[in-house]
Parts: sequence; structure tokens; C-alpha cells
Amino acid sequence: MKGIQFENVSKYYQEGERKFTALNQVSISVKPGEFAAVIGPSGSGKSTFLSIAGALLQPSEGNVIINGTNLSDLKPRELSKLRLDQIGFVLQTSNLVPYLTVFDQLLVVKKMKGSITKEDKHFAKDLLDEVDLADKLTKYPDQLSGGERQRTAIARALMNNPNIILADEPTASLDTQRAFEIVELMASGLKARNKAAIMVTHDERLLKYCDKVYQIIDGNLTLLDEQIAIR
Amino acid sequence: MFLALREFKHAKLRFIMIGMILVLISWLVFILSGLGNGLSALSAATFKNMDADYVIFEEGSRHSMLRSVISEDLSKDLKRLEHVNEAAPMGSQTAVVLRENATSEDEKIDVSLLGINPGTFLEPEVIEGEKLVQGNDQEVIVNDVLKNQGIDLGDTLEIEGTDEIIKVVGFVENESFNHLPAIFMTMDAWRKIHFAAPGSDMGVINPVNAIMLQGEDIILEDINQSVEGIETATKQEAINGIPGYTAENGTIMMMLGFLLAISAFVITVFFYVMTLQKTNQFGILKAIGAGNGFLGRAVVSQVFLLAVISIGVGILLTYGTAMILPEGMPFALDPKLVISYAIVLLVVSVLSSLLSVRKITKIDPLQAIGRVE
Repeated sequence: MKGIQFENVSKYYQEGERKFTALNQVSISVKPGEFAAVIGPSGSGKSTFLSIAGALLQPSEGNVIINGTNLSDLKPRELSKLRLDQIGFVLQTSNLVPYLTVFDQLLVVKKMKGSITKEDKHFAKDLLDEVDLADKLTKYPDQLSGGERQRTAIARALMNNPNIILADEPTASLDTQRAFEIVELMASGLKARNKAAIMVTHDERLLKYCDKVYQIIDGNLTLLDEQIAIR
Repeated sequence: MFLALREFKHAKLRFIMIGMILVLISWLVFILSGLGNGLSALSAATFKNMDADYVIFEEGSRHSMLRSVISEDLSKDLKRLEHVNEAAPMGSQTAVVLRENATSEDEKIDVSLLGINPGTFLEPEVIEGEKLVQGNDQEVIVNDVLKNQGIDLGDTLEIEGTDEIIKVVGFVENESFNHLPAIFMTMDAWRKIHFAAPGSDMGVINPVNAIMLQGEDIILEDINQSVEGIETATKQEAINGIPGYTAENGTIMMMLGFLLAISAFVITVFFYVMTLQKTNQFGILKAIGAGNGFLGRAVVSQVFLLAVISIGVGILLTYGTAMILPEGMPFALDPKLVISYAIVLLVVSVLSSLLSVRKITKIDPLQAIGRVE
């Protein structure tokens, strides 16, 4: 099965004597072409959820299946390879490598897999063209605006042509106008490429771009809304 | 290499500063090695050049020519021993020579007088003029550095404190002993000077300071047992027995050791702190899918490149320094030595980066998530 599935996933932390439940029996399925949003107050388990979805954290119970692969069967090295091949991360604005140009931010992803081919360079240029950064290829992150940085991050997430896109507060530190632009760009780009996407956010204004909206409170995930998303 | 080069380019000042430290350290390492090499040559070149395997001293002399007097006649007995191919005696004496009939004081020259038998393996090759001839006791061959003092072929020299007159008939290269340029003379001529005081030979017939042996697999026990009143040293032990040699070498080696340790710590600390600073960045790269190998290689190749460039600059500066050092300075750059210290510095640098690599492997990609800044 394509996309990403959670089957009764729980995550516990030991806090001294007490067992603290960060995720409680969470099940969710996001198919290719779907854009899901997860909202919730801070401390609700959003980050734990996204970390498990991103193969950065092992669940205490339950299964996470990404594109048919059960993550609990994988070793750390294989997890890192899976992240590289299957998952594209869009993180907060400051999460670009400061000494790489916009163009190199994309190429480094290819470099992690081995060498960079001519096609890779073309592909990177096309992606950057698509997010309207064609004239910023040689700029460093500190020469970009917040929106431009986030657009670079989106292009970087798509560089390896992954099946899953995970976005962690992608609009934090952006003004409303920029935030709308970024999410709109993500939504249309992901649809066009038929990617399964999950965005964790606290910004409810952005939800109109998502197909499904989940809420997470104290580790419990519930489907809040299913709608026809704005494209 | 991808990340390494781009970070160099972006943070030039930072890397130039650490590079300068490495340049200065390697520069100093090479200068010290040149100085050590020069000093040890000055101190022991003749011993180092001689094609001998063992040296026979008087018993109790603790491998020093100065304290040793044995009879040249022993060499006949020694030659008869198994594995001994050749034996040749040598005597040494520090002296002051001055050009005959010279008047001004500044022409006095400190030298080492070395008595040998002409034609033995101890006679160095003459690069100019004639060899020594048995019986021509006035004729000597001298180190060509004495040319700087204006000594030429055919010049006659007085030996201060004696009535002896010697005549320069040939020049040899790179021969010095006890930090002084060597003058080779026949054994009889040397005896006349060294044992000028009656009774100073202590009754030894045909006295010399030491006998050098050629031969492989010589069993030291055999020699010590078959000949009375001697002790045997390997060539290296004899070199170490030259006054001041071990102390000089030890001092320089200690300084080199400290420099290598300092460079190791400087590089370790610099890159470790840089790695700590970039923890978040490495976390993000790991989250995206970078393996430990990819990130580790980035740091190691950074250190490697930085070290290669800095050491290269250090070598250039060292050869530049060598050109402006004064003539008489005991400074001898041996390319082999320079290359080996360059490799040691490089290895130390790369090893120093391993602490950072270890740190990188421990960085958790999890910290890339949920950090709103």
C-alpha cells in the first residue's frame, strides 16, 4: 500500500516513576495525493507524531508503514536511507545549511546518495524555477527572505522525488501573506506530483488548503474535518 | 568534499586563521628538524659517514673516544675473529690551527684532528687534491668548510701549542666531529700531537682511541671474551657517546614532540567546537537522510585539505627561511626528513578530527523537528 499508515501507534516516555503517554493508539492513513494537517496545542504530541512519521523516532507500540515498508523492521542505517529516498522534510525557516547556495541546498541531497549527474542539476533548476527562485540560485540563506527560504526548503524536499512529504510548522515566522503563499505552493506541488503529505501546524488559517484535518490532544488523534481543499 | 569545500569558501576567515596556526606550527617543526639534522651532522658527521658496524673502545670508557686509549695492535687479533671483515683504528683530538706565520688573532680555527691509517675504510673520499699517503706525516686532508676561512690546497698550518706544521693536500666533504670541522692525518702524526706529553699514552704501545670494525652478524660476546680490556659498541651507540650528541638530539626531539601534541590539541579543539556549533545543522542534514559517513567524511576531508595546504605552505616557508639563514648555521634540510614530518603532521591532524566525527555520530536527527525559533 502506498502512502503512510499508522496502526495503533503509541509512544511512552518514562518520567521518573511516571509513565508519560505522548501518543496513544494513533491510527492514520494518508494516501498519495492527500494533504493532511495535524493541529494541536504545544505539548500535545505533534512533534512526537511527526518524528515517528519521519522515521526519526521508534514507536513504543504499533506499526508505521511507509510505502509498504514496516519501519520497525529496519536498522538505523536503513532508516537513514529510507528518509533520504522516501521522505521529504520541510522544516522551519532556519533549517537550510548556511554555507550552501540555494542551488547547492538541493544538490547536497543528491550528493548524500552518491554523485551528482547532469540530470540532477537540470531537475534542481526546474524545481527552483517552479518555486520561483530561478534568479536566486547563487544566493546564500542569509540573503533570502523567510518566504524564499521556505520555498527553497520545499524544493529541497522534492529533490529526491520522495513519496511522503512531512512539514513541521512550515509557516512559523512568516507573515500571513507569505504563509498562504507557501502552503498554497506546497498543496499544488504535492497534488501535481501525487505525494502523500502531512503538515503539523498550529495555524488554523492554513487548513483550507488541506484535504483532512486531524487534531491531536494529549496524544489522542481525532479526525476533525474532511473537506474539499482549496487549490 | 562537497560540504567541506563550500564551507571553506563561505567561512574563509575562520579557516584561514586555523590554517595560519597550522602553517606556523609546521614551519617551526620543519625548521627544528633542519636544525636538529644540522646539529647532529656537525656533532657526528664523521661517525655517521664511516662505513663501520662496530666500534671497539677501552674498557670503562663508556663509548667515548675522549676516555678511551687502546693499542692499535689489537686490530690484528680482531681481524682474525669470525664475521669481522675489516678493522681500522682512529684517534681524535681537538685543536686550534692557524695559518703559518699568521699574525692577526682572528685566523685561529677550531678543528678536530682525526688520526687514521691511509687507505683504510676510514679515509673519506677526497673531492679535491690528493689522498693521504702512509709516511707523509705532514700532509693532511681537511673539511672543505675551511675554505671559508681562506684555507687552500698547499697551505701550511701551525697547530697551536705544538711545533707541528701540517700541509693541506686535499679536501673532503661533510666531515665534522665534536661540532668541529675535521682534519684527517696519518696515525703517526696524530700520535705526535695527542701523546706529546711523556707518559700520556699510559704505556700503551701504538695507542689509538678506538678501532672500527666492519662485518655483519658480529657476536659481541666473542669479541669481549677473546680480547682483554675492551668494550664494544654499535655504530649508533658510538654516535650517542659523542659528547653533547644525545642531549642536543633529545632537546630537539622533545620540542618536536610538544609541537605535534600542540597541533593535535589545537585542531581537535577547533573542529570540536565548530562541530558543537553546528549540531543543529548536522541534525537537520541527518533528518533529511545524510548518513554518519557522509557527515564524517565532510569533517575529515576538511581537516585533510586544511592540513595539506598548511603543511605545504609551511614547507615553502621553511625552504625560504633556509635560503636567508647565515652560512655558518648548522641547518640541514633533509627532504626525506621533511616529508616524514609532513606525513606525521598530516596523520596527527586527521586523527585529531576523529573526536568531531564521534560527536557527529551521536547527534540525534530528532532535534530537527519541533524547534520553532
